[in-house]
Amino acid sequence: MRVRPSVTPCKKIEGVVPMARGATAPWPAGPSERRSLVTMDGGIRIADAAVHRPDRHAYFHQHENGLPAIPRGAGFSFAAASFGGGAESIEMTAFDRVIDFDTRTGRVEVEAGITLGALFEFLTPRGRYLAVQPGHHRITVGGCIAANVHGKNPARDGTFVAQVETVRLFHPRHGCVDLSRHEEPALFHATCGGLGLTGIIVAARLRTLPLPGTSFRIAHRQVAAITEGADLMAGDSARSDLAYGWFDCSRRGRTHGHGVVVTGQFLSTDEKGPAFKLPPSRFSPKRRARLPIALLNPISIRLVNTAYSWSLLRSRDTVVTLAEALYPTRANELYLSLFGRRGLHEYQALVPRANLAEFVAQLRDDATRASACITLAVAKPFNGTPDLIRFDGSGISLAIEMPRSAAANRLLPEIDRLLVRLGGRPNILKDSRLPRSVFEATYPDCDRLRAVLRRWDPQRLFRSELSERLGL
Amino acid sequence: MSALVFGASGGLGRALSRELAARRESLVLVARDSADLAAEAAHLRTVYGITVEWMALDASDPRAVEKLTGLPGASAIRDLFFPVGMGIEEDDGLLPPATIAALVGSNLTSVMTTISLFLPGLLAANAGNVVGVGSVAALRGRSRNVAYAAAKRGLESYFESLRHRTAATGVRVQFYRLGYLDTQMSFGRRLRFPKASPQAIARAVMRNLGKDIGCMPLPAFWRPIGWALRTLPWRIYRRLSF
Repeated sequence: MRVRPSVTPCKKIEGVVPMARGATAPWPAGPSERRSLVTMDGGIRIADAAVHRPDRHAYFHQHENGLPAIPRGAGFSFAAASFGGGAESIEMTAFDRVIDFDTRTGRVEVEAGITLGALFEFLTPRGRYLAVQPGHHRITVGGCIAANVHGKNPARDGTFVAQVETVRLFHPRHGCVDLSRHEEPALFHATCGGLGLTGIIVAARLRTLPLPGTSFRIAHRQVAAITEGADLMAGDSARSDLAYGWFDCSRRGRTHGHGVVVTGQFLSTDEKGPAFKLPPSRFSPKRRARLPIALLNPISIRLVNTAYSWSLLRSRDTVVTLAEALYPTRANELYLSLFGRRGLHEYQALVPRANLAEFVAQLRDDATRASACITLAVAKPFNGTPDLIRFDGSGISLAIEMPRSAAANRLLPEIDRLLVRLGGRPNILKDSRLPRSVFEATYPDCDRLRAVLRRWDPQRLFRSELSERLGL
Repeated sequence: MSALVFGASGGLGRALSRELAARRESLVLVARDSADLAAEAAHLRTVYGITVEWMALDASDPRAVEKLTGLPGASAIRDLFFPVGMGIEEDDGLLPPATIAALVGSNLTSVMTTISLFLPGLLAANAGNVVGVGSVAALRGRSRNVAYAAAKRGLESYFESLRHRTAATGVRVQFYRLGYLDTQMSFGRRLRFPKASPQAIARAVMRNLGKDIGCMPLPAFWRPIGWALRTLPWRIYRRLSF
């Protein structure tokens, strides 16, 4: 890997003046705030984390020495990817600009702190959109890159890295460097899905697609089992703009895994009318955890699931706005809040299609034996290639949720063992507890990332609770 | 017609620039750092499709602002915004002369000099807005920000005079006495009263644009606090430590 020895002037942002090499100003620089930070699942809480919130480009001047740090976006991760591990968090939300937009190619250059919602409001009136987006519009582009998130149809659209052309990365030791598949490719690939461990993503150039319409036609089909849903999704994913399955796992016996497969396509006619403005949301991990007690228990979960299933199947075909289709988590904020302060466990496993039936059957048996209450499972088809520590590959992703409890603590190690045995991989960003041994067994490429990090940053300036837990 | 925003690269200046851009007003942005200005100008051009010029200058040197008249769009400027302020921790009355000069230059003299450059054009057009931004620190002098509070109180007096001078014209002069703002200056500081978001203040400024409001405290809860502070007898005030 070739490492550029000096600061690269930003291509579009003129006038970045690098500090002289050898400068010894402390870093992270600027005022910091002491704040309590918590993961979205409520699993990790730090009462007195140091957070910086720079808002000037002078921040990206070069400093040789520094304290451990980690970049932070909206902080929506279920794992402590943006705090902990003795690092100071650097919140990038003030860097929220659209720097350039090519109307001919649709390529857009943005700063890392811009939210998906702000980018949506910019792109939609211009007839473009991002094909791969996670479910909440307050998540930042920098966070999407660092987590290499997936969208509504990963089998067809891939993961977030598929639409990233260039990344501008800052590391105090190296200054600003521009990365792409052609320029510093090893560092580019380590940064996309690298959990912020290579440095601070300052800006990125993204590919966008022409927007076929601003409304979505959604079809709901009832299925009797997760495997049946997986077959339906696999068949439909190539011709769908959205494909996922929702399954009720709160029931025991033959009705376990009854669910609904949801597929959707853009409508060329705007039946719902243009909806370029998103509703305001103040949702955050702290707000999710405001209820002092969990209101979800085996009885209420069944009621909630029955009501949700009924609401989906009431209208088998429905038309929703683009915003509703792209950012469904906005509608699930209340559901997530019902887990209360104690929180939830989410276990997202990418399981080879051939082993899905065994995984589901064993999961049901293990949950019964542990008396654990799985609320639901959400499935999505994947058809990618695993690389480094990205959550990608070929198979069905199954995300299950359950309230935090002793029973859940008994069940989760069983799922770990099952997943390792069946050749699957867990999403490390959805599980604030995942042990290092399971991570290493399911991500054999992790040593390659460790090698890149050692060469690029021998002092390992960037770290988090997540990276320390996984030994990255 | 265009607007000039001093201190446009961060905080209230950035928020005001975006509000003005949303109204499709051409802008001239002024701040210290060229990288921030270039990025903000690129954002406003790309998102709002407006004309944006920018100039990086050090406002602590009042003579530096004279360069503004050389900008191509200078003659079309009708709205002037000064959301600028420079404060330092050690402002206890014992600052060296050069620091005092820089502090007064940034907070007062540069604003006065800039207005003097553009006011003739506004009066000739019989239209425009001049918006100054002060601080609750100027309500009453205190030992922790001696020079800053003096400069801001001077600014308040200057804007009152300016309002009187333009009373019979179409030029509106407004002054906002702001409480704590959620900016880099206050980040991490434990303050006695809530911080207002720059975006909320910018929206309030936009709503009032063109109105003869004189001096307005923002957020509004600072009005009774200001009254209480001003009427507090000296024998009590002198014992306060804040």
